[in-house]
Amino acid sequence: MIDRILDMFTTVSNESHGSVAVVFLIGIIFGVIIQYSRVDKFEKIAGFAMLRDTVVPKMLFLAIGLASIGLYFMVQAGYASYHPKPIILGGLIIGGAIFGISMAILGKCPGTGPVSIAEGRIDVLVGAIGGIFGGLVFTVYFDFFKKIMGESLGKTTLLTYFHGHETLTILIFGITLIVISIIIPLREEFDKADLNQLKD
Amino acid sequence: MIRRIPWWIAGILMALLLLFTFSVFGGNRPLGASTYVPYFSGILFNLSPEKYPYLKEVHFAGAWEGVMLLGALTGGFITSVFITKSFRFSIMPTGWKKYKNSSVSSRLIWSFVSGFFLILGARLAGGCTSGHFLSGVAQTAVSSMIFGAVVLISVIITGKIFYKSEANDD
Repeated sequence: MIDRILDMFTTVSNESHGSVAVVFLIGIIFGVIIQYSRVDKFEKIAGFAMLRDTVVPKMLFLAIGLASIGLYFMVQAGYASYHPKPIILGGLIIGGAIFGISMAILGKCPGTGPVSIAEGRIDVLVGAIGGIFGGLVFTVYFDFFKKIMGESLGKTTLLTYFHGHETLTILIFGITLIVISIIIPLREEFDKADLNQLKD
Repeated sequence: MIRRIPWWIAGILMALLLLFTFSVFGGNRPLGASTYVPYFSGILFNLSPEKYPYLKEVHFAGAWEGVMLLGALTGGFITSVFITKSFRFSIMPTGWKKYKNSSVSSRLIWSFVSGFFLILGARLAGGCTSGHFLSGVAQTAVSSMIFGAVVLISVIITGKIFYKSEANDD
């Protein structure tokens, strides 16, 4: 097992997708943003499922609105490239439905889960162990799951539909997402156990 | 030092992190956070990538996200100890007690089951909140918009059915 963990680092350093230090740094910043904004808390994602908290959708819509515009101009300038995922209808619809149900019950997604384990949440650690088994089942029965996922209908992006008007399309797209993030009413479900710790 | 940043600062920072990850100076790839799970399953259960084609498929993405995950754990831990001061061991989320029940075994069983299906769902769809919703929609990928819409509906319906509409008295 040790050799495979070491192999993880050599695999990353042998590819040109950032050095181990850069990838680790991306992780640190990811963890800090999630922890500092408290979106790793059960009350944020499960609270959104109950429509009692809107911090997660507001933050996500703002992030993708800004990033979509920024990324477009970075791609134009040659500093980045697009890597869209394939349209696999079975996988997206069945997987998305299962993912949404699980996210509402666990109160975490695969990105925020580890961050909440890092702040001492044992129930999420149990969820992560469940996740490891989920990953195991998917890996072992991949042939079966592939049939559910279906054939790829291509890696289409919205920009390909508006060929010749990409800049205008991305501006309308990004600004719309930013406006959505602002007009979603701000609702917050607080955790009393946290508030008790806050003296200010 | 403030204990919590508002949603809009978090959104701006997350957008900047996404752009850095996509850029040739960063990872030159999208940000993702669910491929590392089957990758770690393979390591923990000592499955050979030669025998399981899926492990071969995720060999690089899994390793990349694995290193990133170690960073996320570190960043989350340091922030929770020194900045948000929220580090403590706990089993029962306050919100679960308030809107579901006070049973520890109920929470743990549901955690295990939902953790299992969370990863199964993400792997079926080919991504999660990070890979599809953040990275995918920022690229205007049609696949990610379908995923985002399905998840949004599924989350809200589950929230309505699974939890109580009134808070439990404590």
